[in-house]
Amino acid sequence: MNKKDISESELRVFITAVTEYFQALAGEPAQVRSAYLGADLTVPQSYDYTGLITISGNYRGCVYFSCRQVLLRRLLVCMGENDHSEANLLDAVGEVANTISGNARKHFGAALEISVPVTIHGPTESIRAAVRARPFVITIDWLGQAAIVMIDLERLI
Amino acid sequence: MMRLLIVDDSNIIRSRIMRIVLAGTLPGAQIVGMARDGMQAVMMFKAHQPDVVTMDLTMPNMDGIRCIEEIMAINPDVPILVISALADKTTAIAALRKGARGFLNKPFTEKQLVAALKEVISDDE
Repeated sequence: MNKKDISESELRVFITAVTEYFQALAGEPAQVRSAYLGADLTVPQSYDYTGLITISGNYRGCVYFSCRQVLLRRLLVCMGENDHSEANLLDAVGEVANTISGNARKHFGAALEISVPVTIHGPTESIRAAVRARPFVITIDWLGQAAIVMIDLERLI
Repeated sequence: MMRLLIVDDSNIIRSRIMRIVLAGTLPGAQIVGMARDGMQAVMMFKAHQPDVVTMDLTMPNMDGIRCIEEIMAINPDVPILVISALADKTTAIAALRKGARGFLNKPFTEKQLVAALKEVISDDE
């Protein structure tokens, strides 16, 4: 099967999705610090909480969102959620990844099939090993807290 | 009186919808159940016969589109508001063709949710 990388301009759909996510929930958009095609030495380490979406259909790859606990706590506060249990922190990081990926279908269409989120607290070496050498990396800042969105996506022709 | 069933695999989204619905902007609103997947939603629908349903689409065990079909087979008149991150037109049209009355994209604001619920309910009146 032939494969084709997604163009950098197409991947910018995810930048819009991530900034709009925080704007809609908290009235404060995320600030994009950088967006680039990563290489081995420039792909940042993930933070302690990660939400992973697997992509299938006419596309293959994954999208993951990673941040520190304090960002998730602030997000839950913005949502009016007082329960900051581990289950809800994991739920929150998964929901961010799910929403960013789902919103990207506005551009890619229904052929970009997305999985339910897998959520991780702790090291994510196994994900990093699965991501190709040059994923698209978006680093953001929201309310003074850093986070990353990693997109590893190819179109099956 | 509006008896609502909330269906979403995310606990924080279910809780957020509940808080908004019970905040007073929808007089007489009452939550009769909160389901985390389509299978649980069908069971709760049969047990509680809600007046309106909010429905996520991407869920384990039974997804939202299949769940809409199952609920429509039980009661084709119940208003269903889809609340999903899936932002493509094809998915929205598919949900509406299966019987959903409205479609709200995630992320949503409190105002957007209340307006969308009022709209699907008013269609029923």
